[in-house]
Amino acid sequence: MKLQERVQALVESARTFPWLGEITPHVLNDWVTRELGVEFVTSSWAQHGDRFRQLIPYSPILHIVSGETPHAALQSLMRGILVGAENWIKLPSTDLVEIRSFVESLPKEFQPRLSQQLSSDWLERAAAVVVFGSDRTIHEFASRVRPWQRFIPHGHKISFAMVLGEWTKAEISGAIRDGSAFNQLGCLSPQFFLVRERANQFAEQLAAQLESSAPIQLPLEAAVAVRAFRENWRFRTANNPAAKLWESRHNSLDWTVLFDPAETIPDHPLNRTFVVKPFTASLEPCIDLLRKHISTIGIHPLVPEAIDLAIRFGAQRICSVGRMQEPALDWHHDGFPSLGSLVRVIDLEK
Amino acid sequence: MSLEKEILSFLVQPRPERFEELAIRLFEVQRKKNRPYDLYCRALGVSISSWKEIPGLPQQAFKHSEVRSFPANETRFEFRTSGTTGEGYGRHFLPSLELYKEAVLRGWDHAGLPNYPIGLLMPNPRQNPHSSLAQMGGFLSEIRGHQYFWQDAGRLELESLRNFISTQKRPVVLFGTALAFLNILETSAGSSISLPAGSLLIETGGFKGSNRTIEKSVLYRDLSNYFAIATERIWNEYGMTELSSQFYSSDVDHPHVGPPWARVVVIDPTTNREALPGQAGMIRIIDLANVWSVLAVQTQDLAWNGSGGEFRLIGRDPDRLPRGCSRAVDEVLQTSR
Repeated sequence: MKLQERVQALVESARTFPWLGEITPHVLNDWVTRELGVEFVTSSWAQHGDRFRQLIPYSPILHIVSGETPHAALQSLMRGILVGAENWIKLPSTDLVEIRSFVESLPKEFQPRLSQQLSSDWLERAAAVVVFGSDRTIHEFASRVRPWQRFIPHGHKISFAMVLGEWTKAEISGAIRDGSAFNQLGCLSPQFFLVRERANQFAEQLAAQLESSAPIQLPLEAAVAVRAFRENWRFRTANNPAAKLWESRHNSLDWTVLFDPAETIPDHPLNRTFVVKPFTASLEPCIDLLRKHISTIGIHPLVPEAIDLAIRFGAQRICSVGRMQEPALDWHHDGFPSLGSLVRVIDLEK
Repeated sequence: MSLEKEILSFLVQPRPERFEELAIRLFEVQRKKNRPYDLYCRALGVSISSWKEIPGLPQQAFKHSEVRSFPANETRFEFRTSGTTGEGYGRHFLPSLELYKEAVLRGWDHAGLPNYPIGLLMPNPRQNPHSSLAQMGGFLSEIRGHQYFWQDAGRLELESLRNFISTQKRPVVLFGTALAFLNILETSAGSSISLPAGSLLIETGGFKGSNRTIEKSVLYRDLSNYFAIATERIWNEYGMTELSSQFYSSDVDHPHVGPPWARVVVIDPTTNREALPGQAGMIRIIDLANVWSVLAVQTQDLAWNGSGGEFRLIGRDPDRLPRGCSRAVDEVLQTSR
């Protein structure tokens, strides 16, 4: 199957999934060419210095996907199809309707095999294993893959934002976009905002803009977590006026904003909960503890000082506040080349 | 008669028609004496006309504040939560154990639990003076034959437990933490020991903070096999450090029932008001015996709203919060400390 057939199939199927971003033949071809080079596009040997190189996809690729992150699951499948691999998907026990619907829209020859049960045969025969999940899940699969299998783990991550300079309504709107997408359930969702200037006002303006948010329906456990967060902080702010709580009204849990000047980072119930903290050097030891688990740090302004700080805090992706949920198609998820990690590179020395 | 004495006599001779009046009076007294709680009630803007509207103090408040409705210098006892959630431990202060003891012993009787000799799989009050469960076990052991099977290091004396069980001719009660029972099952795989006919087993505490999970139905099945006891003879005690009274249920899915002086309101998390009948929500407990802190405690435990003061516990597992691929900050901070 030629690359262009795969590209066309993906473009067609992605039409009904606008949240995947702009998927056009040009975008996909550009991605492949940039990351894998012309030799992959033309399936030929390409000269690199005194050597020649050819790329062959790991195949089959086993994708073990999580129930709450259809976006990541679809991206993983798209990458597998794009490199030309056969794809197998272990679905969560709760299923993933988005995957099923995407798969049904693909031409038969590109459709992955789907199963809610993981057979040992799949795990043994897969050339590459991509796993999304908790530490426990990652650990379990890490202990089961063979040394010859390419293993690509995507564990749970923490993202946050730093507003280190003067801010305007544009940054408030950006923060709301970042903290609202996917109900904050993604690894790119900011769990707190560190604000250097007028942090209290930043929180207040977030709350004011959130008044016009669309309602959200939460499952029971999520609703309990948000309610418990609110009541805990209602108690704490009532007893400590330095902290402040804002919340959606009319018996709803649509959004919550907390301004908390303490030198700790509080537990977070996600689901449009915005925790704003004044950025001070005394918070750094606490952030340092999170370093190994950081994904994205959104910053404003995007200046060298802030970029250096984000790198020091462990960022694997740095972007402007407001763009945290819009990674490029070819972004290096958890530091892995998006397509490059799914192909075998063969060197030919003549 | 002081309100404390009135409540004590309610425990001795419950008159359900007086519950509302006593609850509202106690609420008003506690608001006056307990400033952190009063400030919380003010923040909520409450004005109540029924016991069901008494605001439940979030359980976490016991970690962040000294929740007392009596002068601090009269504190004689301090119970502490296990601190397994990483935010430190909650503290429950008391000037006297009289009400607590009465609530434990009369609550036991009210649940229809027998006064058989008791085997305790928990520390005694000397080993852990800050454990309300240890104190509860201490009260129960005062009035019947008893034996502890808990070593200082937290290990169980399994051989002694076997001897205790095998020498009993009459029914006994084994009361301990769910973790202790799970340890017995795990360390005694393949073997079993029969409890005398008519015996009871009571587990409590769940598996919070232990990184271990087991379905209740599986635990009860395995306990039933190991101790040769029907699952309807296995009970759960639902209580907490922040409260003075306990709720009990038997078998895997029977509802929990409390004594006449403690009632439950299942709260709809979206509205923060009582859930509709048959709806699931968060458990708020109104415990008249909790004179020394607050009578209303808001938990994050989930239950189905039943009729007649019963509730069907769904439990609370923080891992059940749908988190997508986002990691909980407190989980990282907890393991880094």
